Amino acid sequence: MLYELEAVTRVHGRRTVLDIPALSIPDGKIYSLIGPNGAGKTTLLHLLAFLDAPSTGTISFRSVPVRHTEKSLLPLRRQVVLLDQYPILFTGPVWKNLEFGLKIRKIERKKRKSLIEEALAQVGMQDFFYAQASTLSGGETKRVALARALAVRPRVLLCDEPTANVDGENQGVILDILERANREQGIAIVFATHSHSQAQRMSRQTLILKDGRLSDLLRDNVFMATIAGQSENGTVCSLQNGVEIRVPLAGTFASSCRIRLFLNPDHLIVLRESEAEGRDGLLAATVVMIASENGRIRITVDIGLPVHAILSRPEYARSRFTVGGKVFLCIGEKAVLIEEVFPLYRRQTGSVPLISDRSSSNR
Amino acid sequence: MDLLIDSFRSAFLLMLSLDHELLVIVGCSLKVSGMATLLAALAGLPCGFVLSFASFPGKRLVITCLNTLLALPTVVIGLVVYAFISRRGILGALNLLYTQTAMVIGQVILIVPVIAVMTIAAIDRIDRRYRLTALTLGANRYQMAWMIFKEARFGVIAAVIAAFGRVIAEIGISMMLGGNARGFTRTMTTAMALEYDKGEFVLAVALGIVLMGFAFAVNMLFHLFQGRTGSDAL
Repeated sequence: MLYELEAVTRVHGRRTVLDIPALSIPDGKIYSLIGPNGAGKTTLLHLLAFLDAPSTGTISFRSVPVRHTEKSLLPLRRQVVLLDQYPILFTGPVWKNLEFGLKIRKIERKKRKSLIEEALAQVGMQDFFYAQASTLSGGETKRVALARALAVRPRVLLCDEPTANVDGENQGVILDILERANREQGIAIVFATHSHSQAQRMSRQTLILKDGRLSDLLRDNVFMATIAGQSENGTVCSLQNGVEIRVPLAGTFASSCRIRLFLNPDHLIVLRESEAEGRDGLLAATVVMIASENGRIRITVDIGLPVHAILSRPEYARSRFTVGGKVFLCIGEKAVLIEEVFPLYRRQTGSVPLISDRSSSNR
Repeated sequence: MDLLIDSFRSAFLLMLSLDHELLVIVGCSLKVSGMATLLAALAGLPCGFVLSFASFPGKRLVITCLNTLLALPTVVIGLVVYAFISRRGILGALNLLYTQTAMVIGQVILIVPVIAVMTIAAIDRIDRRYRLTALTLGANRYQMAWMIFKEARFGVIAAVIAAFGRVIAEIGISMMLGGNARGFTRTMTTAMALEYDKGEFVLAVALGIVLMGFAFAVNMLFHLFQGRTGSDAL
């Protein structure tokens, strides 16, 4: 395990801003951390970056309990880099900023230069080698800060809302860079975000924080359900409000088994009445909300419960959906993830699953 | 009015002729104040750094005491140092009284709090994210402090300049510990006081102009550094 947290709390004054009984984060993947403002995302990231110590509890890094002394923390910090929500660049040229972490690690001058050039190329900022940091725009600053973090080749990169206050184009660029760093360099990435769609796009596993505690209630289209029936054609899930959904997954769940059903908004298909004619297994729905989100369109439909679907702008332009309009929801196999409900975290001992693991639960 | 105009005219002539006595007095002032500023910087900058970075019980009290020392009158410092270095004092055997060393000691005591407090202010003004960024990039405590110093350098230099401005214009310490000995411990301010007592305004006005010239130069430097700090903060 990369991180293991045991009964970790962080108290500011009389307020407990983080309370995590237990949590494990395996190595080498991308994790998203979702939660509203004040949920404790930044506090958790600071703990994971060893920039802050928990008020109580223990954190283990690579199975070794962390001792919060200057001497013990330094080698750990050199494996983990935190990218701040509003990163700050040191006064001076861009290359000096990237050189900082390398110089500290006593990397020789020639090697430093090539690493700096490589990191800048990685974020598409190679032309800004000699640029003064103070002259960069917000998006450029974020990318240089990301390059500065990647230049030191960390084992873990923690990103606090890496796309906050960045235009749509730069958001995509930053997310691509993170994905590539994970894929090509094996850097484990934990990133905090408000955007559910970003979390779903980027991460295999999602941590959800609310009021400083882990929660499983915030993500889009996550429903607690019970198995109402199973056949070769699919599984019938009974949700809240008496809503039943047949999903095209043949499971081997125990009858009346409690599950968590996740309908990926990116893969749900919303059809107009004319398009739905002659097709089976569709759910009748009413459009209740249409909103723009990060360059795409989020449509919320009511099937007895609100369900969100994400459309590209051209798709939306073709569909001509309107609020209040009757539509049909098509749930394809690709859109469905089911996992048995297990405790989100343990109180004392035992294994600690993350709340959702798309790779493991995709059966 | 004529007296003032005549004094100004004579003072400018004195300066243009590079009057020996004037140069000796200005040289003594610069030497004593420069040395005092250097020593005070060596003590005050680390003190300010430690107080900024360290966390210990009573830190606020120490900073409050330093702030209080900013208002310490020069005559009080003169009296205290005098009590130590006069013949009857515990350091009397060193024969420091009425020497430039005694003046330097008094002036150092005067401006160490100035430098320390302004250093604390300069460092505290640096965004907390600089520290976190340095740490997360793998810096140890000293590397982080050095990085913060570089970011706060204009504010720190401004502290030293302000301290120099404070000592070069002070009179109480120079008079009480230096004794205003001609050619030895006579500084611009003590010489001006003496000339005024004698009713000789020409040298007093000349020295006043030189002093104001230095004060102007120091303030120009101060504002230059303050301006740089301000623009960096943006």
